[in-house]
Amino acid sequence: MGNEKSSPRPDSGSLHRRDFLKLTGLGAVAAFSCADREEAERLAAGAPTVPADLTWGKAPCRYCGTGCGVEVGVAGGVHGGKVVAVRGDEKSPVNRGLLCVKGYHLPALLYGRDRLLYPMRRRPDGALERLSWEAALDLVAERYQAALDADGPEAVAVYGSGQWTVFDGYAALKWVKGGLRSNNLDPNARLCMASAVSGFVSQFQSDEPMGCYEDFEAGDDFVLWGNNMAEMHPVLFSRILENKRGNPGVRIIDLATRRTPTSEYADLYVEFKPGTDLALANGILHLLVAQGKVDRAFVAENLVFRRGIEELEAIGWGCYGEQAQRYTFEDEARESSFAELETFLADYAPPRVSELTGVPEAQIRSLAAIYGEGSRGTVSLWCMGVNQHTRGTWMNNLITDLHLLTGKIGRPGANPFSLTGQPSACGTVREVGTIANRLPADMVVTDPEHRHKAEQIWGLAPGTIPEKPGYHAVDMFRALARGDVKVIWIQTTNPWVTLPNLNRFERKPGDGRFVIVSDIYPTPSTAVADLVLPSAAWVEREGVFGNSERRTQQWHKLVDPPGEAREDAWQIIQVARRMGMGHLFPWPDDAWHEPMFEEYRKFTIGTGKDLASYEQLRETRGLIWPVVGGKETRYRYAAGFDPYVTKRKGVHFYKAKGYGERAAFWLRPYHPPAEVPDDEYPFWLSTGRILEHWHTGSMTRRVRQLHQAAPEAYVELNRADAAELGVKSGDRVRLVSRRGELELPVAVDGRGQPPRGSVFVPFFDESRLVNLVTLDAMDSISKQPDYKKCAVRVERV
Amino acid sequence: MKKSPPTPLSRAPLFQRGEPDSSLRLGSCRAGSACRFAALALAVVLAACNDGKELAPVPGHDGVTKSAASERALRRAFDGAPPVIPHAAFGPCVSCHSDSGMAVEGVGFSPPSPHARTKGMSAVSRCQQCHVFQTTRAVFADNGFDGLRQDLRRGRRLNALAPPVIPHQILMRENCQACHSGPTAREEIRTSHPERARCRQCHVEQRTTEVFETSGP
Repeated sequence: MGNEKSSPRPDSGSLHRRDFLKLTGLGAVAAFSCADREEAERLAAGAPTVPADLTWGKAPCRYCGTGCGVEVGVAGGVHGGKVVAVRGDEKSPVNRGLLCVKGYHLPALLYGRDRLLYPMRRRPDGALERLSWEAALDLVAERYQAALDADGPEAVAVYGSGQWTVFDGYAALKWVKGGLRSNNLDPNARLCMASAVSGFVSQFQSDEPMGCYEDFEAGDDFVLWGNNMAEMHPVLFSRILENKRGNPGVRIIDLATRRTPTSEYADLYVEFKPGTDLALANGILHLLVAQGKVDRAFVAENLVFRRGIEELEAIGWGCYGEQAQRYTFEDEARESSFAELETFLADYAPPRVSELTGVPEAQIRSLAAIYGEGSRGTVSLWCMGVNQHTRGTWMNNLITDLHLLTGKIGRPGANPFSLTGQPSACGTVREVGTIANRLPADMVVTDPEHRHKAEQIWGLAPGTIPEKPGYHAVDMFRALARGDVKVIWIQTTNPWVTLPNLNRFERKPGDGRFVIVSDIYPTPSTAVADLVLPSAAWVEREGVFGNSERRTQQWHKLVDPPGEAREDAWQIIQVARRMGMGHLFPWPDDAWHEPMFEEYRKFTIGTGKDLASYEQLRETRGLIWPVVGGKETRYRYAAGFDPYVTKRKGVHFYKAKGYGERAAFWLRPYHPPAEVPDDEYPFWLSTGRILEHWHTGSMTRRVRQLHQAAPEAYVELNRADAAELGVKSGDRVRLVSRRGELELPVAVDGRGQPPRGSVFVPFFDESRLVNLVTLDAMDSISKQPDYKKCAVRVERV
Repeated sequence: MKKSPPTPLSRAPLFQRGEPDSSLRLGSCRAGSACRFAALALAVVLAACNDGKELAPVPGHDGVTKSAASERALRRAFDGAPPVIPHAAFGPCVSCHSDSGMAVEGVGFSPPSPHARTKGMSAVSRCQQCHVFQTTRAVFADNGFDGLRQDLRRGRRLNALAPPVIPHQILMRENCQACHSGPTAREEIRTSHPERARCRQCHVEQRTTEVFETSGP
């Protein structure tokens, strides 16, 4: 364009450049900061080239559970060097060179100028003062010992993370369960995928999915249950889109309570009323049975049928309101049968399901046709929509039931596939077992044989590990608020942003508790801590993560952490030593990662959860367990793939000893949500994440490009609701629930579009805490809170 | 595998400035006049810094036909990071950032996507997975990240007549012409022969700096 005036004029209605400049105004749109400008000038002046000492090392991405491989560019060597770039690792089978915007901006997460650099203790006047590591570690040991002496092992707790490396989690597990002799160890992953754990465990007596990411190329139909994959697992969504591009018959089915960027790519968008996914899944099961789409041979060979407690009064909604302070619901399994299933499903004929869910009967039939079409591979995907659900375990069960009934399981392109949101929710939390009732490799503290095996590997006296499960996450913080837990150490997570109904957890000065927080940046959680410890982040230390497809990935330390920051596992080991528990960590200070991993690996060998050797992990872009004879297993339980399966074909659920090595099909009814909109609080509130920010934003908000793309939380309103309220995008409204209130700017027709009577708020913004409004009802079995459904009122400000 | 639309070949110059393919023209945007209006807000307005000076306009503006390294660096956290989107939101990205780019009346030349032909990852399917808008200039907390800068050395060649090797990664940059030809190509890397569509027949990617060593006599 420019000086070339010969170009044809656009037709009428177009404007000249000068005009649109006037229209938009100078400050109206995107612009670049002065720092950018300086950089540009610097670049223009010199002739910049790549640093001569630039080296590239491998690592998995720091953020979500996808586990993309990145190559990390470091200038200046490990000591004193800096990360200057990342690029997608073309050798990684996970992402094959592609990243999302968070991944591409990984290096900057390390260099926020407010990194925590030194241990700091809170003075009586509320200010933080620096102290030495020696003094800080002494203080932690002293506080734990004092609480143990005075109130016993139930008064101490550790709250961990799905972002812990395997080393951090294993050190914490061994110290808490084998040293402190407490089971008060639970992770933030309780808020994130506990329902998936109880789902898989209740059906296969072993956690984690059977498929792998190759399902995304092998599948024909992808059914997304309440899963905004385009934003939350973008690189995996790209794999599906690529499959679809090459194979036009591939279909994406988006089952959701609001339109999201994922919906734009869906062949079928099915909108259901919040919480009625239970009815929808049963409605599909009803049609599959009624239409004879059941794979009878598969069912006869591989399934048992079970029912649990189904009375609403007997179950409740865990921890809601003034219900039991320590919620102790236990499901009870009883035998059932296919015949009973047929009777049970009589309640879920299309007309009733349509009425409950708001989904047209034709769409329910379409869904049944998709699951029922034997020749097509169906992959069901889900994440927080199903897991953060007052009946999350049930919903996990029902999705897997759809696959069990149709035999669409344990082969490429036909699997139920649960996605995880944290980089090592699987590798650390679920596999190491940093959970109140668990031990490594699917073992539980309530089983004497399991405790015995752990005590043997750890060289501890029989009876060291207590059998009573500890507090689950929400209960742990309630116990802290009550005073039953006196000392808590929180690592790599930000509970004062993420816990539901945060109002309950406000700390009062002089409450007599001692809260230790290890993190890399100041957060609302470090703000209430008595002791703040600076942690090393990501490639500032050696690590292992395990992703959503059972892939274990190792990386080396590539740069030094800033200041005096040290890795979380090191912090735990030092405290253990000070408490006379040094025998738990007998390895030399300069070479403990490999021997620690090899000890942990002993738990897995021969169990069907076999991990690769550390040496092999170093050499590869991760391997999918079970790794037997150095070979990974892409499809668990599947003949021809899984070395534990001796059958010539089909599947063998060999981990489910309690079900005669078959999978359990659970009959699960529809129950309504804990709180539903009424005249006073007429809107549904759902919360969640967005592409640019990861969880509470403590890392991504410090990355300029990400913050500038999404600087603050907002509330998505339906256009008609906004019109009725008399507000438009950018106006401020107040969200009020029975628990709290919050002011937010409105977003209408943004990236997400809720239906009428429904609003959505992302939770990344620590200055607009949506969890002041959310409800702390939870799944009775998994104890995972439901952040997706509560009732609010929207007021114009 | 669905194929990308064919690339214009030697019969016509790759970029016919002033006569863009009318099917690509803004005026024909299927989204109608709302889109058209929004497109005009395609804001290449680079607001002033504190010193009150405006940044150089983007390529294609007022006769500026090359993308300076400094302009390029402005939009990236480091060399290799996806650029942020320097204009307001409107319409589907690929309607302007097509395989071959297009001139947008009143705005300038809209550069083609370098990864319109990236295989295996639907790179063109969801642009905003990697490219995000800037909605504010504020920062949450200051960041001292100092990223890798663009390597401006040219690809090595055996002699003055030999084709230079490709000194950068190919992944996500499969459409060579996006950067090496057309109005937005920097002069120093602009190809003299855009009509030869198979670039990598002569230019190969340099993947290592090591040399071949024979194992014996």
